Amino acid sequence: MLEQEQALLSQVTSAFPVKGKVMRNRRVEVWAESTTVSSILMYVKNQMGYQHLNHITCIDRIEDTKFQLVYTVFSHQTKMTLFVKTFIDRNAPVMDNIDHIWDQANTYERELREMYGIQFPGLVGAQEFILEDWDEMPPMRRDFKTEEYSEKTFSSLPGRENTQDVRETISTRSGEEIPDFAKKYSRD
Amino acid sequence: METKKDSQTIAEYIKNWSRKHSLFVMAYGTGCGAIEIPATMTSRYDAERLGIRGAATPRQADVLLITGYLATKTLKRVIRVYEQMQDPKYVIAFGSCTINGGMYYDSYNTINVLEKYIPVDVYINGCMPRPEAVIAGFKQLQDKIARGDADNGTRYKENLDWYRANQQQVIKNWRMPDYNW
Amino acid sequence: MVREKETTLYIGPQHPGITGNMMVKVKVQGDTVTKAEVHVGYLHRAFEKLIERRNWLQSFTILCRFCVPEPDPMELTYARAVEELEGREVPERAKYIRVMVMELARLQSFMLWYAGQSGSAGLYTLGQWSVGDRNYLLDLFEDLTGGRIYHMYIWPGGVRRDLPVGFKDKALRTMDYIEKRLDEYDKLLFDNVIFQKRAQGVGIVPADKAIEWGVVGAPLRGCGIKADVRIDEPYEVYDRLKFEVPTAFGGDVWARAQVRRQEARQSISIIRQVLEQMPEGEVYNKIPNPMKWKVPAGEAWAKTESVRGEVGFYVVSDGSEFPRRVHVKGAAFTNGVTVTEKILVGQNIADISFILNSMGVCPPEIER
Repeated sequence: MLEQEQALLSQVTSAFPVKGKVMRNRRVEVWAESTTVSSILMYVKNQMGYQHLNHITCIDRIEDTKFQLVYTVFSHQTKMTLFVKTFIDRNAPVMDNIDHIWDQANTYERELREMYGIQFPGLVGAQEFILEDWDEMPPMRRDFKTEEYSEKTFSSLPGRENTQDVRETISTRSGEEIPDFAKKYSRD
Repeated sequence: METKKDSQTIAEYIKNWSRKHSLFVMAYGTGCGAIEIPATMTSRYDAERLGIRGAATPRQADVLLITGYLATKTLKRVIRVYEQMQDPKYVIAFGSCTINGGMYYDSYNTINVLEKYIPVDVYINGCMPRPEAVIAGFKQLQDKIARGDADNGTRYKENLDWYRANQQQVIKNWRMPDYNW
Repeated sequence: MVREKETTLYIGPQHPGITGNMMVKVKVQGDTVTKAEVHVGYLHRAFEKLIERRNWLQSFTILCRFCVPEPDPMELTYARAVEELEGREVPERAKYIRVMVMELARLQSFMLWYAGQSGSAGLYTLGQWSVGDRNYLLDLFEDLTGGRIYHMYIWPGGVRRDLPVGFKDKALRTMDYIEKRLDEYDKLLFDNVIFQKRAQGVGIVPADKAIEWGVVGAPLRGCGIKADVRIDEPYEVYDRLKFEVPTAFGGDVWARAQVRRQEARQSISIIRQVLEQMPEGEVYNKIPNPMKWKVPAGEAWAKTESVRGEVGFYVVSDGSEFPRRVHVKGAAFTNGVTVTEKILVGQNIADISFILNSMGVCPPEIER
């Protein structure tokens, strides 16, 4: 059971000071320091055949004032996916630029820079990738309140009360009773 | 046909009649509603039998279809496209999200009410509107043209200050040409 | 030779040849592209942010809008990620129905691709045919789910409802019709000298760089690399079905077109097999209280194969009623931005929209 996955894990853990575990078949994750991530990726790409970078993503762990970064790589030979995960400081988010390893990492990093405000030293490419003339805080951060911003900027017409139960509105308007079977799915 | 023939002069009647039968639609898929436009134009629904067909450039187009939500980045382009179009011009807003935000009411990047930025002639609701609904919307626009009520361009020019103020509230870096219509 | 001046051209966002709402900024010398930049963001609706504000099932209204031409892979991938987090079993019949829906979605997306690919070469007849015939597939979806474009049919724990009465016969009849029509499309597109001359040797993705560049889907298989999530990591019942993953050599528009031409036929064959083998039984493993459903904390990565390539969802839960983070990696994210920027260099201006169509660039999937 899961010998291939264990072999992959032990190969990475023997080469680098990382902790990791086998998540399930074909999924292995390792937790690394943010400074070693780029060397791990370089190693798994060049030595172990993990040539396909699936994606880079970020999760805002606002309660720990950290950003969690996830690098997902896939091997077309072994058909296994390796996740390299790391934490960086949320107040001064800086991460190594890896677009010399994979060119397309440039796109992911530009997106992260725009959406989370993570800086990648040496990253080329226009500051603006998706947004235009954005002057608030990076919008994908947890403490950015999108609804408040939307109300302030694009005020909507009346008639849209957010937490309104549609069934109640209809029943008061037409004088119908809400049937019992529908009540059990109500919000409170 | 509910055309008010009596209130129009013969020249106006002929002008409106011919206008309503040649609606050239701007080929700009601004949102997800654009996926039903090919279906509307091709063999099963065949909107071309009503005189509706595509036009590649703003200056040759009569109808601007706003197919769904507008991100602020697109809104800027849509305003430029709209201002380049020649009179008479008409705007059809497509989908629930143009009316009052729809399911994107809390998104930081999409506008909620299209009417505040450019004048709208006909709304087609639904998400997405079926091709039948699209054709019904076009039919309504044709009736409006025949009645002589479709004054989209004049409405925009008369209330330009109000529209400009709303537009500039959303588009922060305003680098747009001024026109002297 | 006179060295011509370099000019900047903006193809899009308002351009009849562009695939959706995006912009390609090219520098040209004479007729040759020397540098290309893909600009996206015209369709950014902040979906990943909005999902954090919806609960687990409300997210489905958003999910299907990630990629408009082919919404079902998004639903399935998310459902599979959530099922992995929760350990929820899916009934056998639902697995077959899911595969059928996926292949129907692929097929209708191929029909749109036929229209786009031929239209950008100036062959407009095929577009009229294939988009017209696509309506028959959308009719099947309408019977099944109630919607033409957006379905919200695949849910965590199965599918929303069983097949309607008489669906199997109707589906088989439609498949016979579509299969007959595909041969006629071939006569119009692949036997057409204009298309052959336009497509061969244009927009080449080099085979030795393809994996490293992150190319997925038909463009990768067009380089002779047999990579498909359906065989690499079989999901649902794909391991029980007989199908081929076609490949072609050359990596140009012609090779990608050949791959898609055969894939459309494979989809028909899969739908027939699924309809034959489908067992009776439940289709939905019920969620106890949908509006207050909580998913155990954890992280899951699921991927499926769409027409454009691999679609991946990274779903993070913190044990509450709302998803903590849903990251979507659409196939067009690499195919449509970095790869397109590279392969456009050295091509003619007239081929830009041709190449964009063959790469399957889907802007709403890139910027989400």
